[in-house]
This record gives sequence, structure tokens and C-alpha cells, in this order.
Amino acid sequence: MVILIDALFGFFFALFAYLMFVARNWQQVLALTLAGVLVVALVSPPSAQAQASLVAAIQAVLNVINGSIQTALNAINSVRSAIQKLYEGAVWPVSLINQAKTLVTQMIGHYRNPMQGIFSMNLKSATLANPMALENLMRNHQTNDLAALTTSFGNTFGSVPAATASSPADRTMMDMDDALAMDNLKTLKESDAADDLSLQAANNIEDQASQAAPGSAPFITATAVAASIQSQALTQKMLAAELRQEAARLAHQNALRKRGATTTGEVNSQILNLLERR
Amino acid sequence: MKKVISKMKQGLGIAWRYKVRACVLLVILFLIAPKPVKSQFLDPCCAIMAAGLNTIGSTLSGVIGGGLGSILSIEQDISKFEQTIVWPETLINQARSLVANMQGIFTQMESVMRIPVNSATLPATQQFEENLLSEDPNQIALTSSQYVAVYGSVPDATSASPQTRNLVDMTDAAAQAAMKRAIEIDALADLELQAADQINQSVETAAPGSAPIIEAQADAWLVRANAYTQAATADLMRVRAIDLADASAIVKNGAANTAAVQQQIYNLLKRQ
Repeated sequence: MVILIDALFGFFFALFAYLMFVARNWQQVLALTLAGVLVVALVSPPSAQAQASLVAAIQAVLNVINGSIQTALNAINSVRSAIQKLYEGAVWPVSLINQAKTLVTQMIGHYRNPMQGIFSMNLKSATLANPMALENLMRNHQTNDLAALTTSFGNTFGSVPAATASSPADRTMMDMDDALAMDNLKTLKESDAADDLSLQAANNIEDQASQAAPGSAPFITATAVAASIQSQALTQKMLAAELRQEAARLAHQNALRKRGATTTGEVNSQILNLLERR
Repeated sequence: MKKVISKMKQGLGIAWRYKVRACVLLVILFLIAPKPVKSQFLDPCCAIMAAGLNTIGSTLSGVIGGGLGSILSIEQDISKFEQTIVWPETLINQARSLVANMQGIFTQMESVMRIPVNSATLPATQQFEENLLSEDPNQIALTSSQYVAVYGSVPDATSASPQTRNLVDMTDAAAQAAMKRAIEIDALADLELQAADQINQSVETAAPGSAPIIEAQADAWLVRANAYTQAATADLMRVRAIDLADASAIVKNGAANTAAVQQQIYNLLKRQ
């Protein structure tokens, strides 16, 4: 590169010298001189700056580093320190997280077994064979013996009389009453089994809560809420069964009233007939 | 040699003859001749620049490097804290396993509640029971006719007093409405069970940051479920209120009948 520049310089200088010496008059010399000055002005590199301005530039860079950059870094540092302090001291203090987990564990130890004990106490009270069998079936939390419940119910409360032994209206009402009573007893067996599963779910959720972290707790809470919806739906199914039962009881009373009214009307007309014959 | 000296003399003579031009050439040569590069060791400007760059370097490593080092250390502490205390991956996965386990329990509960409980034995009652346990709101239209087939209709005007007919009709209405509400509530409960399943499944695949959103939706469903439970409870209370009113009406009728009998006995005695 340097050789090329030197060669170019030599070439242009020789050309310039030749033109200078072959110039015929002073106007051409002046023109060449001006052209030379112009080339010098355009081609020559800018003069080096003074040492004083270099020192000032370095000092300016140092001032920027020591001033605004250092201030910004210190500010970022203090903000991150404050965030760390906030996280560890106020938002997620490890001591309080551990305290919460300990509370869950303590409550499990304090309440779970006594409550389970109370809930599993024997409530059976029947003394005779058939009622005892029915009571056992009603309270065993099993769902694979619903047919046995029907048989046992018949043994205790009797079955619908034969068509020759009772009026069709009576038979229909008895069958409906028995059916709704048995439906509900079966539904209760199912809901007892579902209750056991709900309690198992509650235990699982509580066990998991005793080991949870703040970041895993939302999963546990969300699944607990989903379990609450399930539980609420089962409560509604039981309420629906109770509604059917109460409605049937009311319908039964009302049917008796209808029959009473009809019977009274018939008796009245018979008395009137008797009086008219006299 | 002599030739060279004579040529030089000749050149100097030419230069002397064109001295102005020779001076201009010399000035131009001086101005545009390539300048030597300044030495890094001998030039004071380079020394100052080197010292300045060294100072800048040490300042950068001290001020910026130190500051960034402190920030990095804090960031590492925060990251460690978040990974071990706040969002530990193992515990998050453990919670997800719980959700999967809960899904299994939900499925068991639903299959238990789907076991048929039908028990009626006669054709009319079997139909009516099928309707009541159908969990299908489209069957509600058939409830009234099937109810009448089992429990009878309101007596006609010739066979019962207006009071008795009103009582019978009101009581039948309350009983039928309760039965229809039971079908509705069963259907709603089925939909809630489906929704709970869906919510739980979405929790299983959620992130710690998205789980609270699903939880909020689940809370909304819980509020809705509570409202339906309240509606069912309200209907239960209505049935019981009508039952009570019915019992009261029997007493009232008894009192009215007693008064009427007394009046008739009094009239008979008066005639004698």
C-alpha cells in the first residue's frame, strides 16, 4: 500500500514538474500553482490534534464511566437488592413458608384421625334380623349390592300386594312410594361411596399442601376448587333426590285427599238416594 | 563523473533560469511529500493515549465490571431463591401428579353416581320413575301426565268442594314442580361434573402462572354451583311449606266441619 502511494506521488510530482517547466507564460505557472495548492488542500490528511484535546477526550470518557454509568449501575444494583429483599423478606419469606407447611402438618395430625374416628362410629340400631340386614345394606357405603337392598327392603316393609288383594290405585301409589324410598336409599349408598372418595381427595390435597411451594400451590388450589364443584354437584344430586321424596310424600297425602273427596261424594249421593227412596 | 557534474550544472542553470517555478515545485514537494508514521514509543501523544486507554480500561473493569459483577451475583441469588423456594420444579411436578390423581377420583365418583337406582315394578310407576330419574330436561314435558297417572287428577266440581279442589290443585302443583326441579338439578349437576373434569384436566397441563386463571374460572363455577344448590334448597323449602300449609288446612277444615255439625245438631234440637 505504501509503495503504491509512493509510486503515485512520484508519478504526479513528475507530471507536475514537467508541466511547470513547459509552461509558456506566467499565467500558466500561476494556474498550475493554484492547482497544486488545491490538490494539497484536498489530498493532505488533517493535521493531528493537540495533546491537550486528547487528554480532554480521555477525561471525558472517564467522566462518563465514573459519572452516569456508575450511577446507573449503582441504581440497578440497589433496585435488584431491594427486589431480592422484598422477595425474601415480604413476599416469600422462607420462615413463613415453612411455618405454613408446619401448620398444615400439625392440623393433619390434630384433626384427621379424630374426625375419621367420629365419622366411622357405628350408628346401627336395629335389633331384629330383617331390619338389621336392611340397616347393614343401607349403611355399608357399597354400590355393588343394590339388588340385595331391594330384597331386604321388601322383607322389612313388605312388597306391593297382588292385584286381587288391593285396588289398582292403592297398588300404584304403594309401588311409587316404595320405589322412591328405595331409589333414595340406593342414591344414599352411592353418595356415601362418593363421600368416601371426596374425603380421600381432601386428604390427598391436604397432604400435598403440607409439602407445597408458593409456585406449586396454585395447582393444588385449582384442583381443590374443581373438587369443590364436584362435591357441590353431588350435593345437588342428593337435594334432587330429597326433593323427589318430599314431593312424593306430598303427592301421597294429596292422593289420599282426592280419594277422600271422591268417597265422601259417593257416600253423600248414596245417603241422598236412600232418603229419596223413603 | 565529469558528465554527471556537467549535467547537474546544466540542471541548476535551468532551475536558476526558471527560479520561480523551481521554488513553487519545492514548496509543493514539501507540502505533499508522504510523512513518516509517528512512533508509539517516542511520540508523547501516543504515550498519553496509551496511559489514557489504560486508565479507561482499569476504570471499565473497576466501575462497570464491578457493578455488573454485583448485579450478576444478586441475580444469581434471586434465581436460586426462585428455583429452590418459590417455583421448585420437583414440587410443581408433584402438584401436577396430585391433579392427575384427583382426576382418577373424580372419574370413580362419577361412575358411582351413574349406577341406576330404578326400583318401581308396575308399568305406570316404572314410566314415572324413569322420567324422574332421567336427568333429561326434555322429559319434563311428560312429568305432569305421568304424575296424574300415578296420583290421580284434581276431583271434578261435583265430587269435591271448591276449597278441597284448590287445596288438591295447589298441593299437586307444588309436588310436580319439585319433581320437575329435581330433573333440572340432576341435569345441571351432570354439566357441573363435566365442567369440573374439564377444569381439572386443564390444571394438569397448566403452568404456575396460568393455574390461578383456571382457578379463577373454577371459583366462578363454584359460585354458580352454589346458586343451583340454593335453588334446589329453595324448592325443598317450598315443598315443605306447602306440606305445612296442607296440614294447617286439614285442621281448618276439621274446625269448619265441627262448627257445621254443631249447627246442625242445634237446628235438630230446636225443631224438637
